[in-house]
Amino acid sequence: MIPVLELQNLSVDLPLGGFLTRGGLPILQDVTLSVGRGESVALVGESGSGKTTLARAVMGLQAISGGAVRFDGKAVAGRDGFARLRRDAAMMFQDATASLSPRLTVGYLVTEAFRIHRQPLPDPARTARELLATVGLPPAIAHRYPHELSGGQARRVGVARALALRPRLVIADEPTAGLDVSVQAEVLNLMADLRRDMGLAYLIITHNLAVVRHVADRIVVLYLGRVVEEGPTAEVFAAPAHPYTASLIAAEPKPDPRKRRADLAIRGEVPSILRRPKGCEFHTRCPLARDVCRLTAPDLRPTTSGRLARCHFADQHQE
Amino acid sequence: MGMTVVLEVQNLSVAYAMPGGALQAVRDVSLSVARGEVLGIMGESGCGKSTLAAAMINLLPPAARVGQGAVRLNGTDMLRLAPAAQRALRGRSVAMVFQDPMTAFNPVLTIGQQVADFVGAHDASLARPDRLAAMLDRVGIPDAARCLGRYPHELSGGMRQRVAIAAALLMQPDVLIADEPTTALDVTMEAQIIHLLRDLRTTFDGAIVIVTHHLGVIAELCDRVAVMYAGEVVEEGPVDAIFHDPQHPYTRALLACDPAVVDPASGRLPTIAGRLPDLTAPPPGCAFEPRCGMALAVCSQPVPRRVPAAGRSVLCHRGAE
Ligand SMILES: Nc1ncnc2c1ncn2[C@@H]1O[C@H](COP(=O)(O)OP(=O)(O)OP(=O)(O)O)[C@@H](O)[C@H]1O
Ligand SMILES: Nc1ncnc2c1ncn2[C@@H]1O[C@H](COP(=O)(O)OP(=O)(O)OP(=O)(O)O)[C@@H](O)[C@H]1O
Ligand code: SF4
Ligand code: SF4
Ligand SMILES: [Mg+2]
Ligand SMILES: [Mg+2]
Repeated sequence: MIPVLELQNLSVDLPLGGFLTRGGLPILQDVTLSVGRGESVALVGESGSGKTTLARAVMGLQAISGGAVRFDGKAVAGRDGFARLRRDAAMMFQDATASLSPRLTVGYLVTEAFRIHRQPLPDPARTARELLATVGLPPAIAHRYPHELSGGQARRVGVARALALRPRLVIADEPTAGLDVSVQAEVLNLMADLRRDMGLAYLIITHNLAVVRHVADRIVVLYLGRVVEEGPTAEVFAAPAHPYTASLIAAEPKPDPRKRRADLAIRGEVPSILRRPKGCEFHTRCPLARDVCRLTAPDLRPTTSGRLARCHFADQHQE
Repeated sequence: MGMTVVLEVQNLSVAYAMPGGALQAVRDVSLSVARGEVLGIMGESGCGKSTLAAAMINLLPPAARVGQGAVRLNGTDMLRLAPAAQRALRGRSVAMVFQDPMTAFNPVLTIGQQVADFVGAHDASLARPDRLAAMLDRVGIPDAARCLGRYPHELSGGMRQRVAIAAALLMQPDVLIADEPTTALDVTMEAQIIHLLRDLRTTFDGAIVIVTHHLGVIAELCDRVAVMYAGEVVEEGPVDAIFHDPQHPYTRALLACDPAVVDPASGRLPTIAGRLPDLTAPPPGCAFEPRCGMALAVCSQPVPRRVPAAGRSVLCHRGAE
């Protein structure tokens, strides 16, 4: 089966500025991943790992310095190519309320994609009503302005906007950040329903691992702009192959006072992209680092359990 | 544990003046925190957590009006003090850490200048560079002396939050209040700040109040928990009791919809249908009644506060039977 979205060795460099420096600062390096039809893939990693940059590159909002984006099996290139992709793939932004123009009504906002992409919109009011119904909002909301919405309602409006042109793929950047658990559950249920009813595929960017466990079939872990582990969600959670993935899972606070952690799973911060560590880039924080890790960079390789991990000792960490 | 109460909130009500009438953000809340204790305040957005926290440090926004009640710090009612005496207490005896530490800093001054100004306003001797550096070191900032010369934007969110905590602790306050201290951070930084706050308890002998809607943070960090709904504390008790034997239907519903506790194989997540009531006209009976799956006819009547065990309280008609 041809995946909806494929990234092949995608790299993004930020220009360093100054005409004496050639090349740039690598933000994403050789990222290869795919999202199948109707599949839900989660992209996780700490702040600054390159998640938003990846989403922007896929949408054509960020220049690519190497590799390729394929949609429905076809290479996407040029302004027109990405403009077409933005019709079939929609983005839900990180801050739902701030991404909605304050002077436009909800009814206008949910149908805005038709205007941007010059698609026929014979009965805007009716289309708005239908889109709002899809996300479980009453028709009267169409007359409201963004500041008159609750956090959960704003997030639903964001989903409705993303669905306007019946996309095949939705890229959701932190879809539940800042929401109460009750509202978060509503939004996640809605996303699951839409996936079932419309065959939507998702690329979900988040650092909330509890959310990942609920919505993603597969998980891709980024560290300093490189994929360090990839595999089916349940398997990765059961036995992470990369020490970084294990640290992220262990860092998540458990809502049970009887399961308090005695020690920190991961110390220190992500190194600056200006000073990438030599060898394995995770070695400065890795609890299992050995001498070889400081010298030789591991490749992203299949593990014996059939997943991918970028660690010299991936097979030994898994029992 | 010797239970010396440092901060006591008694029958406190706070409202905001609004065109449509007074919005009753905090309604008849009574709470106390002892020395060495960490109290968590949890509940959905808009239920009054930040307003209560601001009242505890006497830092309410101008639109807020205290209707009734008292906030006693070591026995003195802060709300009834003259403004100058209030300012002296704030910072010195009660300190606050906010959600986004960036907004608390001035972007054009170095970290060292700002922390020195902040603590120096209370006690010049605290502003000595060696004492500042020692405190930054204490909260886990590597190369603390150099950090003093940096600007806020040069630090990560987690580091800025550490600086804010260090500045608050320099004053050795009796009460440290942290409103959503980890909400703007990612998982690893959140874990480190939780670890730091827990670690501090062994040397800091004041009380800590944490406001958050992240249940995992409460479970990891707190000794006691107050659950708020529509301006009221609907349940209060030791953290283990709240998580393992919740008695109020709202507490139960809130714990049930956390994806961290739901088995992914079960498919749908539980939700709490409905919304908070209009706080300009809260109902005379139970405010949770329209959303409660266990409501009785009596629930539209004023709700009695039950004490099911020592140190616990529940605001619900049920359970009394
Ligand atoms: N326009 C830019 N100029 C300079 N650096 C940038 C720019 N955009 C991104 N970066 C850098 O690229 C890296 C990746 O950033 P990105 O926003 O993609 O991370 P992220 O994983 O989305 O983080 P978060 O979880 O905080 O949203 C970071 O180190 C960031 O500082
Ligand atoms: N300055 C203000 N003026 C008017 N109303 C306010 C003000 N601050 C808060 N409110 C209202 O008071 C109620 C309680 O707000 P508060 O900020 O205390 O809730 P919260 O529990 O901290 O919510 P969140 O989790 O979203 O921070 C809300 O209805 C809010 O809209
Ligand atoms: S290669 Fe070495 S440093 Fe890198 S993740 Fe594996 S064990 Fe840790
Ligand atoms: S008082 Fe009644 S409506 Fe309110 S929480 Fe208890 S059972 Fe539910
Ligand atoms: Mg991002
Ligand atoms: Mg608040």
